[in-house]
Amino acid sequence: MDNFSIVGKSMPHRDAAEKAKGSVIFASDIHFNDALIGKILRSRIAHALIKKIDISKAINLKGVKAVITAKDIPLIKFSAAPIWADKLILAEKKVRYIGDEIAAVAAVDEETASEAIKLIDVELEELEAVFDPEEAMKPGAPLVHEGVENNISKVLSMECGSVEEGFKEADLILEETFSTQAQSHCPIETHCCIATCSPEDDIHMWVNSQAPHALRQRLAGALGIDAGKIHISLPHVGGGFGSKIDLEPSQALCVLLAKQTGRPVKIENTRHEQFTTTRIRHPTRTRMKFGVKNDGTIVAKQSEVIMDNGAYNSHGPAVIAYNNVMFSTLYKVKNIRYDGRLVYTNKNWGGAFRGYGDPQACFAQECMMDMIAEKLDMDPVELRLKNANEPNEITANAVKISSCGLKESLIEAGRVFEWDSKKSSRKKYRGVGVSAMTYTGGGSKGSGFNYSGATMRMNADGTLHLLAGATDIGQGSSTILTQMAAEIMGVAPETVSLTTSDTDTTPPCMGTFGSRVTFCAGTAVTHAAQGLRQQVLEQASEMLEARVEDLETRDRQVYVKGTQDKAVSFAEIGAAAYYQKEKPLSAVGYYNGPDVGPDFDPSTYKGYPSPTMVFGTNMAEVEVDPTTGKVDVLSFVAAHDLGRAINPMLAEGQIEGGAVQGIGWALMEDLQFENGEILNPNFHDYKMLTIKDIPDIKPLLIEPVDPDGPFGAKGIGECAMVATAPAIVNAIYQAVGIRIKDLPATPEKIFMALKEKEGKKE
Amino acid sequence: MEKKHQIHLIVNGELYDLLVRPNRTLADLIRNDIGLTGTKKGCDQGDCGACTVLANGKVVNSCLVLAVEMDGASVITIEGLQQGHDLHPVQEAFVEKGAIQCGFCTPGMIMTTKALLDENPCPSQADIKHYLEGNLCRCTGYVKIIDAVNKAADLLK
Repeated sequence: MDNFSIVGKSMPHRDAAEKAKGSVIFASDIHFNDALIGKILRSRIAHALIKKIDISKAINLKGVKAVITAKDIPLIKFSAAPIWADKLILAEKKVRYIGDEIAAVAAVDEETASEAIKLIDVELEELEAVFDPEEAMKPGAPLVHEGVENNISKVLSMECGSVEEGFKEADLILEETFSTQAQSHCPIETHCCIATCSPEDDIHMWVNSQAPHALRQRLAGALGIDAGKIHISLPHVGGGFGSKIDLEPSQALCVLLAKQTGRPVKIENTRHEQFTTTRIRHPTRTRMKFGVKNDGTIVAKQSEVIMDNGAYNSHGPAVIAYNNVMFSTLYKVKNIRYDGRLVYTNKNWGGAFRGYGDPQACFAQECMMDMIAEKLDMDPVELRLKNANEPNEITANAVKISSCGLKESLIEAGRVFEWDSKKSSRKKYRGVGVSAMTYTGGGSKGSGFNYSGATMRMNADGTLHLLAGATDIGQGSSTILTQMAAEIMGVAPETVSLTTSDTDTTPPCMGTFGSRVTFCAGTAVTHAAQGLRQQVLEQASEMLEARVEDLETRDRQVYVKGTQDKAVSFAEIGAAAYYQKEKPLSAVGYYNGPDVGPDFDPSTYKGYPSPTMVFGTNMAEVEVDPTTGKVDVLSFVAAHDLGRAINPMLAEGQIEGGAVQGIGWALMEDLQFENGEILNPNFHDYKMLTIKDIPDIKPLLIEPVDPDGPFGAKGIGECAMVATAPAIVNAIYQAVGIRIKDLPATPEKIFMALKEKEGKKE
Repeated sequence: MEKKHQIHLIVNGELYDLLVRPNRTLADLIRNDIGLTGTKKGCDQGDCGACTVLANGKVVNSCLVLAVEMDGASVITIEGLQQGHDLHPVQEAFVEKGAIQCGFCTPGMIMTTKALLDENPCPSQADIKHYLEGNLCRCTGYVKIIDAVNKAADLLK
């Protein structure tokens, strides 16, 4: 069934026209006449004991309706997963980073709320703080969390085969250390939440979350209330990239203030708060050791990682596990060792950020591959082809690979990029670099769940309604899910009405992350649509007195095959089901897989249960200005194996956006900390690429149809930024012989390295 | 409490008579006092361009303009672009070329594009990149936005 009329076709987002008109509603656009504005008092000290909080001046300020502190909240710790719980909604005994929530107010307007915050007297006793993970692990270092020895939130250790034996067989052994910096998600829309509380304690929320169903569960847990009393609807979400997955303290505070005041409360992050209090990409220090044979075969590889957790867990324990999985899964290597430590420091908490530990692993690994290629005098693409994963294999770390387009991506990228000619052209200060990657293309059941649900209904008038839990944060899931449903039902996609991400009406979906929506929600949607189609045909077969096998759908009618007039319309079918049968047509689809195998280790994620892995190749051409160290990316090719592109234009959009975010991480994005304080919490000083900075980007869609994916599709969202940085850094090396091992590759670093190199020559 | 000032301004062709505090920004006036929420606030510091509107024909970050400065001015917001039910050619081009993902930067991006093409109907790639530099987008990587600007230029010819 490869002849599709809707799946595989490029089309704009279903709501693109509305977005172009500015008429779609985001959280901040929602207005209640009697809404109060909420503001949060945050710690200005990185590590301190709370001695006293005096709210009397604040609560007496005209226009202030509520002031809450830890005294007013259930002291239930929370995190992205209950077993990692280490954060209270409001700090009780101590604060652990600059930005930690101490109190919250609700007032009649923003000005009053801000004034009230200033009037809250907090007495803090400053404690010695620790900002570097290696310092934090030393005996005698200040403890961020009581009882957490050496500030180590998680240790993981995995060995496959024997690296000791493997290194013995190596012709060449290479050992290098790399580091990556903190990055900020920077969605153009900041966090925003509106909550109301009815007299019967029913809470309604409008919030820009990537995971409303999970949010509801987390909130219920943290507030000690019944999840059934929490109703979450999503307005449009202005980008997430992982920043909008967690339960935010501000969301819980919004609910508590609404409860206390009986009025709607709105809490919106300023851009400053967005930079200084939301999650960041975990900074890492990685030491890698590779052993290879002269023909390029990797016989053993080892990674030792220290990951900076920041003050609280969020997704840290899973991010470091992903750092292991993605390092270990890429390439056919029998002997692998990974040792990781996730360490608390008194800084912003690391969280989920596009790639989830993979960009950090890929950066180090792909730079190692480049260095190995140089030492072996081997083409870097050839080296990767030599070790590339192939379809239908199980890796040494027990990961099942089904469809795999790694080799195709390497070859196709090379062809379109003109790798051979560019590499050999040797223009002064110009160079090319390549990198490869893997990631999950369907989330994973590593945390215990990977669920997505959908319901598809035919209304009494024959119109179709799809209800899916999955959240569209701009990546286009709403569009491709309706494309899939429309393809199965044989209707135009715009005729399928869609409700998503509403906890009262849509089946739950775990959330939009892990590149899981196309696969998981797509599977649920296709099952629901197939189920509905079957019901429609059965109803039609009765009405037409024909067998189901002899029927087909066309133009919102069901025809007996081969006839032009033996037909019954969707409207007639819908009406018959509702009014005669009194059983409206409705089908449910659900996915929650794959089953975890016996090899699965929930700590290291060995045997990582992803439904399907994806692969890709990035190639970059750069030009370095030796007088300033500035890097211009001239061209960029990103070939990604996504099984089948449900909507090529939208898939390209993800790849292009991911590439630009990745170039930012490679060259200029850097959350700069000094004693725990972020020095550049604004768009002026935290450099993101503007339209002027982008290279020529060519996204290539590699389509080895996946046997399990809906219509053969796999995910793309997070994958798109995983391999960008090493391609750029490898290109810089080819251009000027400078190997950057510490991101970002800023002009200063390159300039100083060039000067040093020149100095050595003299 | 500071005195409020009375201002008259035209927004999307309609006259508004409002009392505003001296520190009220045009962005907040448009979004809250008039109720046109198409204009977005991404930073409120003049860095991201999400709040871009045309004030007396000039591209401005409305978060950096004081409402009191707009007494007697004519402002066009994203809501003022479409012609009845039809999309403005710039809007059409953005839709067609896949230049819209989450849509949050879109109104600002479209307003700046309109201003560019009003000023320079045949912009080069360099012209486009220079003009739109003040509008940040985190979703698209800008690639299809450039395609859309080129398409819009074609449509407007």
